[in-house]
Amino acid sequence: MTLHPIVGDRTNGGRPLFSIITALCLMIMYAPALYLLLASLNPDEQLGLVAPTRYSLNWYVALLDDHRLFRALEESTVVALATAAVATPIGLAAALAYRAMTRMRSIFLLVILSTMLVPGTIEGLGLSVILRLVGLSPSWVTVALGHLLWTLPFAIVVSLIGLSAVRPSTVAAARDLGAGPTRAFVDVTLPLIRGNLVSSFVFAFLLSLNEYARAYYLVGRQNTLPLYMFGAMNSGASPTIYAFSGAVLLVSFAAVALIFVIAARRQSGPPGVSLGAYPTHV
Amino acid sequence: MPDKVAGRRRRAAFFLALPSLVVFISIGFVPLALVAIWSFWSFDPETYWIKPVWSLASYTALLKNGRAAVLLQTAGLAALTATVSTLLAVPAATVIGLLSGPRRATLLVALFTIPFFTSGLVRAFAWRLVLGREGVINNVLISLGVVHTPVEWLLFSDFAVVLGMVAAHLPLAIVPIVLAFARIEGSVIRASQDLGAGFWTMFSSIVLPLIMPGVVAGFLFVFVVAIGTSMEIQLLGGAGASSIAIMINDVMRVVNFPLAFAIATVVAILLIVVIIVADRALELSRLFEDRGA
Amino acid sequence: MTHSGRSNPSSPIRSRLTRRQLVQRAAVGAGALAVGTLRVPRAAQAANEINFWASGTLDIGDDGWKIFANESDVKVDFTDNGNDPGPVVARLAAGNASDIYDVGGLDGGSERELAKRGLIAPWDLTQIPNYASVWEWAKNIPYSTFEGRVYGIPSVINADSMIALRNRVGLVDSYGVIFDRTLRGKTAMEDAWINSVIFTAIYLKNSENAKISEPGDLTADELGLVMEFLIKHKKDGQFRTFWNGWEQGLQLVANQEVWVMTGWEPIVYAARRRGLDCYYAVPKEGYEAWCNNSILLKGAVDRKRSKTAHQLANAFLSGFYGCKLGALRGYAVPTDNNVAYATAHARAFDPAAVKELSEHVKAKFAGKVYWQNTRPANFQLYEEWWQRLRNA
Repeated sequence: MTLHPIVGDRTNGGRPLFSIITALCLMIMYAPALYLLLASLNPDEQLGLVAPTRYSLNWYVALLDDHRLFRALEESTVVALATAAVATPIGLAAALAYRAMTRMRSIFLLVILSTMLVPGTIEGLGLSVILRLVGLSPSWVTVALGHLLWTLPFAIVVSLIGLSAVRPSTVAAARDLGAGPTRAFVDVTLPLIRGNLVSSFVFAFLLSLNEYARAYYLVGRQNTLPLYMFGAMNSGASPTIYAFSGAVLLVSFAAVALIFVIAARRQSGPPGVSLGAYPTHV
Repeated sequence: MPDKVAGRRRRAAFFLALPSLVVFISIGFVPLALVAIWSFWSFDPETYWIKPVWSLASYTALLKNGRAAVLLQTAGLAALTATVSTLLAVPAATVIGLLSGPRRATLLVALFTIPFFTSGLVRAFAWRLVLGREGVINNVLISLGVVHTPVEWLLFSDFAVVLGMVAAHLPLAIVPIVLAFARIEGSVIRASQDLGAGFWTMFSSIVLPLIMPGVVAGFLFVFVVAIGTSMEIQLLGGAGASSIAIMINDVMRVVNFPLAFAIATVVAILLIVVIIVADRALELSRLFEDRGA
Repeated sequence: MTHSGRSNPSSPIRSRLTRRQLVQRAAVGAGALAVGTLRVPRAAQAANEINFWASGTLDIGDDGWKIFANESDVKVDFTDNGNDPGPVVARLAAGNASDIYDVGGLDGGSERELAKRGLIAPWDLTQIPNYASVWEWAKNIPYSTFEGRVYGIPSVINADSMIALRNRVGLVDSYGVIFDRTLRGKTAMEDAWINSVIFTAIYLKNSENAKISEPGDLTADELGLVMEFLIKHKKDGQFRTFWNGWEQGLQLVANQEVWVMTGWEPIVYAARRRGLDCYYAVPKEGYEAWCNNSILLKGAVDRKRSKTAHQLANAFLSGFYGCKLGALRGYAVPTDNNVAYATAHARAFDPAAVKELSEHVKAKFAGKVYWQNTRPANFQLYEEWWQRLRNA
């Protein structure tokens, strides 16, 4: 929800300070990422910065041949997509259930949060024992199950925040107009939390993409990306892994820029069309 | 509420909760129960595995060799990371959710999310090259003449660990707060301005209370992820820096599985107690309710 | 709830968009599942395929394995196991590693406990004719055998000491330099008691005449002595840090973050390739010897892959693997077949370099070496002391 037009005038009190802090946050987050991007343009094997005159794309070219990395990336993407695709609807359902509960609420919240608190290595090991007992062979499916447990509490909490932003009077109005509870949910609530659901999906996706403690015990013959990176760092990595980080950054920046260009073109189109912004436009 | 409606609501709640309960019980609690049971068994020096001899040895071992201190230190570090992240995230999320137009808001959120697509391990490793003796910061400081020898404490210190952890977990704090801005009505802000409220009054009396669910969620997310991670501590901390995850790995390396399981069980139980206490004190379960009509 | 510039939330256009997005999401999820299902590993594999779950240091890359397959008829599917014996043994002991991997490769020392629990099977040496070519002293490593049968075939063997920067510390020949007060904050050791305790024990025994009989198997008192020494130096800020894994170790040296540290020899080769003037010290107290073993997982036997696994073990020792590993990392496979192979394939590998590497390793082992030991008698006590070191 953007309140920018409203808060326009008398906001001088906090805006400069908050903007500085935001810039600081961006600097902290991008320091290592930008370093990697610049260092990956260094044609030497030694990781470090060089003068721009020596910049070269040879590690990016080598990256294209790094089949192992791409297989690991593929595995991680499949796991993350599956995890997010399952965690998002289950998370929404759990959030709805939570809000419909009264006395059981505290206990349900505790159940949700408690599985977040177990160290990942032990959880992975324990789950691998159980899955072995039921005869499930390790593969991307078992990793996704482990990650589902890991990301579900996050998805639930995110959905809870989204649902708490829906005005009860809006839903009540729909009910007054004759909509049943399901219809009211699908036609009124769901559109309002659409951005929130996208956030939930992306959150779960990113958490799964970066998780390795649980994945170690649940993975099949193809390592996920974090496991591949961990192995590479332990036993000798080609600088292609730094080029990979740089490539991810560049591709992401390009994608964002593309979305903005498309959105700018579309803005002259029909109203009410979403700009695809996922967190604030509810 | 008439009984029929209440009953229907209870049934609806049950069915909606069912999938998540199935996940939590089958994938979550069953393995944990197994681990907890195994933590009470003994290490078998014959097979280097565990034997079903009940004993509290693994739990008493937790009290020795400074292991309890590691639990507290890791929790403390996670809490510090979560606090710093939240303190930074609130202003950043306010800029995104309150002080930016839709395009800038989208751009900022995207910017904060993008680094998460790269490997966290490689990012943490890159900090060594930024903070090291011959790293970027030291080179800049020396060339500007601010210092004459490299600043040692930038790396392999608590500073480096907290910096690395905050950098890695900031989006986890920012996104929930940004999402919580959806709870704020334009009309309420307008009304406060009509009544003459300045920025800080508006922020503290209207914005902050309404985004509180997001703030708490952000703190929780960072804390949970930070307490289980070992990358930044191992890569950026000093000689032999420890964390819960590192300690569990150490213990498993000497196949002392009952102790490893005991550590995990104790960590989980302690944190559950913390959550119960926080729930009572801060009324967490009421936090995600509607903000009123 | 009002939104600036937004249409009525319950308008039909909105609903369709919303439902379409939901359907899209579901489709993406279903698509991912479908794609993934196509990739679930087939239960039956080609008869000559082996899943090798090993430390990255035993890897020769996709190109290397292709040539290996051509020469030996064994197709290797390599998966990195993270190089940490803790999770590897845990996954073998409790988890599912044996269900999907056939042969393991890791630091020697855990063979006995794995064998006792039947998690690994003994190698049938009659199926590994090249075993005869393994250097004698490599065959006799105590932890590779159990109850008279061989459970570990040595794949990589080396003797470790210190990496030193010549322009910073000159020529060093004693581990004492790691503990030298003048080098405070400029030294490092590995973050593992398996290496660091034995290095310290070697030093204390030989240069400070401490009462230590077996540096690789310390008694409780000896261990206390060694660990108190380390703890004191740690508290004094002697160590810049402890390192863990190749890239970390290499970066410390290459960025001159530390000037001397105990570590793996290939780090020197890699650093030299990057233009650094560093060398591997020849310490008068002696080297720390270690060996990575290949172990036969029980799952392979159950899945009737034992014969192919033996072919693999034999192929490791037939020459190409040793040459390739030596060229890639500077590690030696303990057999003279490497030199023979290089001589026969002089265009692919330089026979002189291969011979030099072999002789270099043999020379180290002819001198004073102390064997690394993952399972000393008091091994759990080692970890307790290391925990105390961490807390200090």
